[in-house]
Amino acid sequence: MARPRPRRARRVRRTWLRVLGLVVVSAVLVTLDYRGELHGAVNAARRSTADALNPVERAVDDVLHPVGHFFAGALEYGSLARQNAELRLELRRAEGQVLRLGTERRELDQLARLEHLPFVDVATIPTVTAEVIGQSSSNFEATVTLDKGQDDGVAVGMPVVDGLGLVGRVVQVASHQATVELITDSRSVVSVTYGTAGALAAASGQGPGAALRVDYVPNRAPIHRGELLSTSSVRSTAAGTQATVSARPVADLGSLGFVDVLAWEPPG
Amino acid sequence: MSQVEAPLEGSQPLPLEALVRLSLVVVVSLVLQLSLLDGVRVAGAHPDLLVLLPVAVGLLAGPDRGASVGFVVGLVTDLVLPTPFGLSALVGTLLGAAAGSLRPGRARPSLWMAVPLVAAGAAAGTVLRGVLLALFGVPKALTAYLPPALVVVTVGGLVLGPLVLRAVRWALPVEEPARPGPGLGGSAAPGRVRT
Repeated sequence: MARPRPRRARRVRRTWLRVLGLVVVSAVLVTLDYRGELHGAVNAARRSTADALNPVERAVDDVLHPVGHFFAGALEYGSLARQNAELRLELRRAEGQVLRLGTERRELDQLARLEHLPFVDVATIPTVTAEVIGQSSSNFEATVTLDKGQDDGVAVGMPVVDGLGLVGRVVQVASHQATVELITDSRSVVSVTYGTAGALAAASGQGPGAALRVDYVPNRAPIHRGELLSTSSVRSTAAGTQATVSARPVADLGSLGFVDVLAWEPPG
Repeated sequence: MSQVEAPLEGSQPLPLEALVRLSLVVVVSLVLQLSLLDGVRVAGAHPDLLVLLPVAVGLLAGPDRGASVGFVVGLVTDLVLPTPFGLSALVGTLLGAAAGSLRPGRARPSLWMAVPLVAAGAAAGTVLRGVLLALFGVPKALTAYLPPALVVVTVGGLVLGPLVLRAVRWALPVEEPARPGPGLGGSAAPGRVRT
């Protein structure tokens, strides 16, 4: 006659069966999403979650930030006053540069028209100014959250800049919120151009805080130390011998406050 | 003695009050993570409150409860992350179940024992997430992102662990075995539920 299974053994078996079931359900969800079969539903759910959490996050942020600012301000009063004076000087320099750039831009426009060049002038692209309200919730990506979304004219793929240079591109949008993948994210690859001949290369992110890696630098057009790289919508065509160099983003990605989303989508 | 206190078994349905409390803990943790902890950056990494929850539940209430809570917390996390949907649920389920199986007997571990276990569990969860993301093709997941994340999440686990353990203790009721009466050995009287 078979001995009845002890109660505890049955309970343990039931527990691990349930765990196994949850693991299988999770694995199925991951597989379906990875194959793109859940994209519509998941994106809609993520948009709704972002919209639902947005007011709560803002309310908490409104409560916590003034407290943080009060202590930060009290502790750093001296350095803030110096920073303020430096910023005033910086502003005067920038105003002078704007005056000089006006003339140069007019000359560039004339040249572009004469040569029929497809030139995108960032200054003429409409922008949406947004505040950075959050950083990535994952430790395995470099993203920030903006307080502007679909209802404000922000769309997936749009580039995001600060006063100095490229910050990243929009990868996800909700009604009043957008997620920006920073150029330091390891999945980010940006075409860059440099030098008077407009040589092309590709800058890829290496993780937060790390320098960008610039690949496909043609040996015939070496990059000099300190040279400025500009982003390009033209893809680098890897040909001939190439080198790899490091580059530092001009934009200060560690302390982003307000940014501009360019209402322009790069050609596919 | 508090060492003989045992949480309600996972196979028993969770009382409504516990369910409400647990949901509240999850929602508050999510809001705190998004609005506060995501901004606490060291070398690009931040403490992860949501990975501590399944470990704490597993340690205090067993593998069944740990896996279930880990699954739900993971799904909630998946809704705010652009990583493959279900990945955090998978990590949470495995973490909760593993933490539950580490539980010494059916007794709740003391705070001094539980906090390092919670931190170690969070570290294990971070490694598991990194490995899975590397398998899913996230470049540099193991080389650029994992080292700082591992340090910050583990230290964050040690700091936030007592708070999370207290929150889970508050949320989940404990079944106290009846005090042994003279000659009864404490086996006949039914348990008492306290929070």
